[in-house]
Amino acid sequence: MATIKLELVTPEGGKVFGQDIDMLIVRSTAGELGILPKHARLLTELLPHAMRVKFEGAEHLVAVGGGFMEVTPDKITILADSAELPEKIDVDRAKSAYKRAEDRINAYKNSPKDSEIDIKRAEAALARAKARLLVKNIPIN
Amino acid sequence: MANLQNIRRRIKSVRNIQKITSAMDMIARSRFNAARDSLIAYLPYLDKTREIIRRVMSQMKGLEDESPFLCTRQQMQEFQEQEDRKFLFLVIASDKGLAGAYSSNVLKDAHETIEYDGSEDDVSKPVKEENYHIKNFDAVKSVKAAGAVRSSRSNAAANVANKEVKREYHDADYIQGVELITVGRKATSHFKQRGYNIIKSYNGISERPTYHYAKEIADLIIERFMSGEILDVTMIYTRFVSTMTCEPDDVTLLPIVTDDYVSAENLDLRESYIYEPDVVSVLNNFLPRRLATRIYGAMLHAAASELSSRMNAMSNATDNAQELIGKLNLYYNKVRQAGITNEINEIVSGAEALK
Repeated sequence: MATIKLELVTPEGGKVFGQDIDMLIVRSTAGELGILPKHARLLTELLPHAMRVKFEGAEHLVAVGGGFMEVTPDKITILADSAELPEKIDVDRAKSAYKRAEDRINAYKNSPKDSEIDIKRAEAALARAKARLLVKNIPIN
Repeated sequence: MANLQNIRRRIKSVRNIQKITSAMDMIARSRFNAARDSLIAYLPYLDKTREIIRRVMSQMKGLEDESPFLCTRQQMQEFQEQEDRKFLFLVIASDKGLAGAYSSNVLKDAHETIEYDGSEDDVSKPVKEENYHIKNFDAVKSVKAAGAVRSSRSNAAANVANKEVKREYHDADYIQGVELITVGRKATSHFKQRGYNIIKSYNGISERPTYHYAKEIADLIIERFMSGEILDVTMIYTRFVSTMTCEPDDVTLLPIVTDDYVSAENLDLRESYIYEPDVVSVLNNFLPRRLATRIYGAMLHAAASELSSRMNAMSNATDNAQELIGKLNLYYNKVRQAGITNEINEIVSGAEALK
């Protein structure tokens, strides 16, 4: 079966992931996208989420913190703001970040006029933390 | 005869200087290694964004009105006809000296670009690949000459026939047409002394740049650019090639002139894309990010260049000090030996006289 090369690069960590895969499922600003080999050229913005990478007959999760994805027929390039493979994720940090973001969003909901809270940033932080926990297969309570 | 004690003192002070320079060499070396590592880790990301932007831009011709960051040269001239716009420059230099010619090289290049006025000695210079400022300036030059601000110099009336008066950097009218953002104390003080209008300076971050600051600078540039007072934004920094070579480089950040991207070398890139959700929103989100990416890349290049220049300067200074110590030691021993010979002479001649 044909494969497609996936390259995941971040500003701080260089190339995080680079190998041939069978399928990639990501969440873009326009909705979920499944990319198979020989896909048409595509450029889109990604949301912070846990993307699903299928290779060697199994599905692997990778946490990305937003960014852009470029697809060509034989290669996918993801320019992520941050990205972690499961083994690189600090669970405690993700948990506390999740808690912090949740608190902030709740505080914002209680008093939306309190403009000290950057709601977009808090929501993005929540999504990032959620993605990390999801990748580690840790239930979010 | 030279005093032995003076020579001894001199040797000691040179030794002390050598100790300092060798310590600075070692500090620069370890910081340089860190700076080079972060630069190398960043390069894949930088190259990829560049590749994507080139590919997208090659198809943007005709869509200039959709995005505030795009325009054609033609439009640029029209902007300039409507009102006299300014040029914005971002200059990245170092915070500290003792790095050889690093700062003066980049500042010299900055002057050449900022003061570019289309006269002949400027034209002969090699133009850097991504320095579109020169093209932009040439395009609006005719408009500029007729524009209100720049022709208001006192001798303008006398020089009506000679429209292209050569600009000098202390020309007050010219300086009015320029805004600067500086990174590094050296750049800040250099341009402040010369009376330039520095809208913001970032000091103390040149050796260890963070993405956070790059983002801040990018936001500031976008804010200024969106105000409609700025014609183009050019960044001047030092590109790190190897530990021996670092060259100043100019890159025009905004606006993206679509004419520049429709060239033969881009033809193979002209395959159409699917954009999700659509090309304009993707581009409008991508360009600000690309700007921050580029500024961060330039800051990393500049940091690696600065530290490698300092490393070279300091190891040269240490070597020179070693050489000087050798020379002084030789001189010291010669003087000492001359003294001893003299004393023996005196004793022998004294004994001779007693016979």
